[in-house]
Amino acid sequence: MPKLHVRVLRQRPDTQARYDHFDVEVPDDANVIDVIEACWRQDQNLMYRHACHHASCGTCAVRVDGKEVLPCIVPLTACKSTDLVIEPLRNFPVVGDLVVDVSAFFQRQAAAGMVITRDAEETIDGHPFQPSELLQSDGKLERRHYNRFENCVECGICLSACPTLSATDGFFGPAGLAAVHRAWEKSTNATERAALLDLADRDGGVWQCHGAYECSEACPQEFDPAEAIMDLRRALIQRKVAALFGGGR
Amino acid sequence: MPAPHVVIVGAGSTGAACAHDLALRGLRVTVVERGEFSNATTGRNHCLLHSGGRYAVTDQESAIECIDENLLLRKIMPDALELNDGLFVALTEEDLGFKARFIAGCEACHIPYRELTPAQALAREPLLNPKLLAAVQVPDGVFEPWRFSMAFLATARSNGAVCRSYTEVVELVRQNGSVTGVKVLDRVTGKTDTIGCDLVVNAAGPWAGEVAGFGGIEVPVQPTAGIMVTVGRRMNNMVVNRLDKPSDGDIVVPQRTTSIIGTTSWTVTDPDAIDIPPEHIQKMLHKGIELIPEIATVTTRGVGAAARPLIKRANEDERDVSRTFECFDHKRDGVEGFVSISGGKTTTARGMAEKLGDLVTRKLGLSVACQTRTTQLLSYRLFYA
Amino acid sequence: MSLHSTNRARPRKPWQWIDIRGRRTGMWAFALNRLTGIGLVVYLYLHFVMLSQLFMGRAAWDGFVELAHSPLVLAFDVVLFAGLIIHGLNGFRVALNGFGIGVRQQKTFFYGLMAVGALLLAISTYLIFTL
Ligand SMILES: Cc1cc2nc3c(=O)[nH]c(=O)nc-3n(C[C@H](O)[C@H](O)[C@H](O)COP(=O)(O)OP(=O)(O)OC[C@H]3O[C@@H](n4cnc5c(N)ncnc54)[C@H](O)[C@@H]3O)c2cc1C
Ligand code: HEM
Ligand code: SF4
Ligand code: FES
Repeated sequence: MPKLHVRVLRQRPDTQARYDHFDVEVPDDANVIDVIEACWRQDQNLMYRHACHHASCGTCAVRVDGKEVLPCIVPLTACKSTDLVIEPLRNFPVVGDLVVDVSAFFQRQAAAGMVITRDAEETIDGHPFQPSELLQSDGKLERRHYNRFENCVECGICLSACPTLSATDGFFGPAGLAAVHRAWEKSTNATERAALLDLADRDGGVWQCHGAYECSEACPQEFDPAEAIMDLRRALIQRKVAALFGGGR
Repeated sequence: MPAPHVVIVGAGSTGAACAHDLALRGLRVTVVERGEFSNATTGRNHCLLHSGGRYAVTDQESAIECIDENLLLRKIMPDALELNDGLFVALTEEDLGFKARFIAGCEACHIPYRELTPAQALAREPLLNPKLLAAVQVPDGVFEPWRFSMAFLATARSNGAVCRSYTEVVELVRQNGSVTGVKVLDRVTGKTDTIGCDLVVNAAGPWAGEVAGFGGIEVPVQPTAGIMVTVGRRMNNMVVNRLDKPSDGDIVVPQRTTSIIGTTSWTVTDPDAIDIPPEHIQKMLHKGIELIPEIATVTTRGVGAAARPLIKRANEDERDVSRTFECFDHKRDGVEGFVSISGGKTTTARGMAEKLGDLVTRKLGLSVACQTRTTQLLSYRLFYA
Repeated sequence: MSLHSTNRARPRKPWQWIDIRGRRTGMWAFALNRLTGIGLVVYLYLHFVMLSQLFMGRAAWDGFVELAHSPLVLAFDVVLFAGLIIHGLNGFRVALNGFGIGVRQQKTFFYGLMAVGALLLAISTYLIFTL
């Protein structure tokens, strides 16, 4: 049972943020969420979010040693030392301790409309999901089929990692734009596609991205929101150029 | 006169569905949850939207409830379900011997099924154990449990329900033999306040005994834990079940980018401190590999445990609302205005809430029918709208 | 629903801006781009000030040219060039990314361009000090 020294950033809407120290013991094979839970057992005023413990709900996202993670799938063995610093996500209003307000985030996801859960029939262009089909010669899964927006767990990690968002409030954010992209990619309805591109073209849309790619680096689902943003830019440029020469559409 | 006010303690799938049911019946509803919504048993269960197949032989009453709710939720829940169907696969001669009983069970419970040859099954599920002898397809599904509960809460909220997370019930307020409110501790403000109401619904899952205890009422709960082992890659398209009576580690549920193997069962004393026995993890992996050999090649992503709230009936011959879950009117303990609901499944949460709603409205002297069967639920995202 | 419905993340302290823990290449590329961009703007104004020497008559201008050949100012020119190269090449990368080019290879792209930049800088440094 490793002994850990944990510092947790504590705050309430009306208090100054401070680090609280916890000494906890957890089993060797524990994940970071078990550490947070152990701290909570010492002080039940510690607010944190969690539900599934297997990277499906997306609620538990925090920063561990400064890096955004889903603590439920990060084993202690992956941490640098037995000293941990646990802080809430950046770029979200803090409700209390590690709990952030995800309202605006979910409102934007709802506006994008794209759902994350899916039927098997939708996994690969109408074919049932077949892992062996996705394997490349080197045994790796082919990204195109595997890394799709539907893998997103709406954890908000990409928003916390985004340097643009730490300076601007109005940015739609990586996950939101990726949702718009996926909806656009999947739609066969020209009007709907145009409307989705319009959404991406607006203030706070894809042009506000500075291409730091931190979202894709941080995403626990190995999804690549930045790629989606750049693809929307490409499509928008294409549309603008076409409008220039084709008399506009 | 304003509509009666009901406080629901706990926002797992049960509490969330009850909030939706009662709000739709026009009651004023306040849900109080001590942590994140759906953080406990519901959040960490096996995510199987039961077709009833699992219980088709051993517990047909449950099986029928499951298939009814399964087919209904498909129609009303927008974006928390993966409807991929499920396979029951026979790996041994013994399993094969179970097949006839299984099919008879499905027929008796009106569970649609289709027999697949091993070749057909492998075509749909390439990573299945190639030694399988037979397979039967049923309409199992998969839910994302947090989103499942949030869909109910989103709809309840749009119908006026107040949903408070990080708000813990610390006391039941009693007046002359009646529960008239709850005292809550708000973890954000650190303040305690009292919420007065006409009736309290105790939907605190494995903590139901503790919550009832706040009012001096005894509800003997025996929390029974189970674990789920999640692997780092999705191995299967459909839910894969062992064609046999339910036992440990006999299901691999594919969810999003992962597959989840489960589950086991052991009793615990404190649902807040479930220590996972390491041998259970090994057992899950071992059993999972029997069904899908490739599980041996992938990493474990996460291990979770949750506790079923098993309640011992206070009085065996007293008729309950249902046998598949517990719904107590504590009138029989001499306490008015207090009802406990627990057990059942996430799959059947809506059905449980319907029964509870009937009981609650009856107790409050109202006659409003349940409308949840035909009401579309909102997207979980709209909880934040 | 509007694109702008955000409740502000409070309070946004300036130090968060340089909270580089957990950040990787892309953040540095972006930060470098912003710093060099600002640096270049500042230089642009400086440059105007210098050019305005032209209005002050021949002597002033000659004096300025003299100063411009001092090693210190030459070293400054190297820094300026470094900034211009980093910013230009990186801007080139970001712009191409926007056309959907080299998105997945963004890191390699960045390092490759910076290698090219280092080479260009070496050559220009040589030229600056020898010409
Ligand atoms: C291992 C396992 C696997 C399962 N797999 C499946 C499956 O695959 N499919 C399926 O349909 N069902 C499954 N079930 C059953 C299902 O998970 C449960 O029946 C269901 O989640 C129970 O929900 P609940 O709302 O009653 O309890 P909970 O989800 O535990 O909710 C109770 C809530 O009350 C809150 N609470 C406690 N005390 C207080 C207080 N004092 N004040 C305020 N709030 C309080 C808790 O925080 C908690 O959120 C499984 C169960 C287990 C244990
Ligand atoms: C060499 C040719 C140049 C190219 C290809 C170029 C390209 C770019 C690009 C693509 C951006 C946007 C980067 C982003 O989105 O983060 C940018 C930003 C900027 N550029 Fe340039 N640029 C060039 C020269 C200059 C010059 C000469 C100046 C100064 C006078 C300058 C000042 C800036 C500034 C201030 C920014 C804003 C930085 C930020 O928002 O972070 N650029 N440039
Ligand atoms: S894109 Fe990745 S990081 Fe962003 S919300 Fe989705 S899962 Fe989280
Ligand atoms: S607890 Fe659900 S993602 Fe971590």
